[in-house]
Amino acid sequence: MKLKAGFIGFGRMGITHFSILNDHPDVDVVAICDESSTLLDALKKYIKAKNYSDYKKMIDEEKLDFVVISTPTESHAEIIRTAINNNVHIFSEKPFCLSAEEGKGIIDHLSEKPLVNQVGYVNRFNEVFVEVKKLLQTGLIGDIRNFSSEMYGATVLKDTKSGWRNKKKMGGGCMYEMASHCIDLAVYLFGKPDKVAGSIMQKVYSSDVEDLVSSTLLYNQGLCGTIHVNWSDASYRKPTNIVKIFGTKGRIVADKHAYKVYLREPSPEHGFNEGWNTRYITEFAESVRFYVRGNEFTRQLDYFVDCIGKKEFDNTASFAEAHKTDSVMEDITGDAARSFDELADFVPSQTDRKRSSSLLRKILK
Amino acid sequence: MLDNVIFGDNQFFGINHMSEEKAEALTVKFRTLKAITDVIDVAYDNGIRAFMFNTHDRTREICDHFRSNPKRYSDIVLYPSMPYAHKYANAVAEKGIFGAINEILLTDSSAGDILGMIGKGSKMLFDKDVIKTMQLLIDLEMKMFRGLNVKVVFLQNIVTDLLLGFGMKEIFVGFIDYIKDKYGAEVGFNSMNMPKLVAFLHECGIENPIVCSSINKAGYFMNPDIESYEKTIKEGKFRPIAMSVLASGAVQPKEAIEYVCKNLGIKSVVFGASSTKNIIETKNLIESFCCTAAA
Repeated sequence: MKLKAGFIGFGRMGITHFSILNDHPDVDVVAICDESSTLLDALKKYIKAKNYSDYKKMIDEEKLDFVVISTPTESHAEIIRTAINNNVHIFSEKPFCLSAEEGKGIIDHLSEKPLVNQVGYVNRFNEVFVEVKKLLQTGLIGDIRNFSSEMYGATVLKDTKSGWRNKKKMGGGCMYEMASHCIDLAVYLFGKPDKVAGSIMQKVYSSDVEDLVSSTLLYNQGLCGTIHVNWSDASYRKPTNIVKIFGTKGRIVADKHAYKVYLREPSPEHGFNEGWNTRYITEFAESVRFYVRGNEFTRQLDYFVDCIGKKEFDNTASFAEAHKTDSVMEDITGDAARSFDELADFVPSQTDRKRSSSLLRKILK
Repeated sequence: MLDNVIFGDNQFFGINHMSEEKAEALTVKFRTLKAITDVIDVAYDNGIRAFMFNTHDRTREICDHFRSNPKRYSDIVLYPSMPYAHKYANAVAEKGIFGAINEILLTDSSAGDILGMIGKGSKMLFDKDVIKTMQLLIDLEMKMFRGLNVKVVFLQNIVTDLLLGFGMKEIFVGFIDYIKDKYGAEVGFNSMNMPKLVAFLHECGIENPIVCSSINKAGYFMNPDIESYEKTIKEGKFRPIAMSVLASGAVQPKEAIEYVCKNLGIKSVVFGASSTKNIIETKNLIESFCCTAAA
């Protein structure tokens, strides 16, 4: 029997997820919920799924197996709790929640329930980053001492007052929107850092949110790394992740399309020579069932559906994993706010502490 | 009859599927219009007449150049592919799909005539009529090609595949009807899911459709798998155009073209190149294998 799916939020990501899953042989998309009726009204005659404007009603009436949540982050926690109470498996867009405390509550609540839970951190399904993680686990570059995880894009090139992107409370700003991917990639590859330091959140064009995030991630075992994220960089055609990892035996530099390995000594078992080795995604990319916008988007949803079928709850992008990323984002936000006055003379473009969210005020208490 | 050799434009706009580093280098190389038209001239002077262009902002300048030099490019044939999605990505992210469509239609100065068609008091167009909105967007995108010889208009793969997932037959049929009626051109679809798309287009009642997709020996960008592609091509119920035949450099040119043109019998190949040597070599390979192919 097919799994009955409901979609909550039908913006850019909701539409992409719908297109990918509408084609899935084991899934029947029975309902779509969006607060704005414009889109659904326009599409009504083309889509057989039932339309709702109230997700509670949809979950209540449709006896769903799973939901796909693609609403602004602000609303995730409440929707997720409703889904859990109705024993519905959950795929949610990133980030998980706006506060680590809220996320922790959900995870505690979830621990009693056999429900598959996943957050849309697509980098965890990119072939290059998956391969890099495997290589690190084999000890190819020795003990890892240092890394940088960077992300750039031309998302915000002017001050925009409209939309939720410029509203911190709704989950806007470079931290939630873009840095979350970059930090999650670090969490995926190296785990959750034990401490963050030297964090700065700067404005470039936005008036109410940060456009630039940088921080140092520190790990108890002697590893440290930096993150550097800028969503106001016009030089990038599309969002770009770059990871550089230094170990005692060599170095890896990776983006979504290729990775390079520098080794002090050859590694025949991996097929790498001494010095630089380059591997392009064309060499190890795998096709997907149905491609929309990128292999990793299909791969993450097919994996989610597979996990439901197999009753596999140890998910690679689980709420628990996404919660680590939420915690790091919260730590960086707190760290940046604490050093705000101290750094004010040096970095006048920091995001204004007075305008910070209630969440931040709570952290600072 | 589709051209055997179609010159693509990805290299001009810094697109390389294999490497972000190489993509960056391309944007530097093709910074000026002259750098682009110099390469187009090499292709043209070596007998290539068909050119595929995404509706990138720079394509407007390139088309202006063609129009300004009608004698120089008297035989040129264009295969536009629309929309150039990145152009709209930020507007969509910022304002949502409808906000973006409204903004695109209402703020584009060349869309002044469209305002009249919408009628006053109708802020939201999309909810009224999806097909009509699509037609207005097509007109906007087609403006840059006015006065030039357009042979086939393609729907770009992000949009094709998104709509394919939705299963919106009316849009596919509506796109074809509008392009044929208004522009007298044929219609093609770019896709990353060729076998599924071909089956779907047949379901829509579209006979012998033109579908442009990645076809290469490496199986790169071929979903769900290379075997389904080979099977669909052998069935012969559509007009295939092969792109990414070199799989961004993963396959050697001779081997690549031999597979596509000789083994699969494909008569039409899109390729992009920057150097004179690569342009001539690839063109000759395509023509030699297309002419000797049995199918």
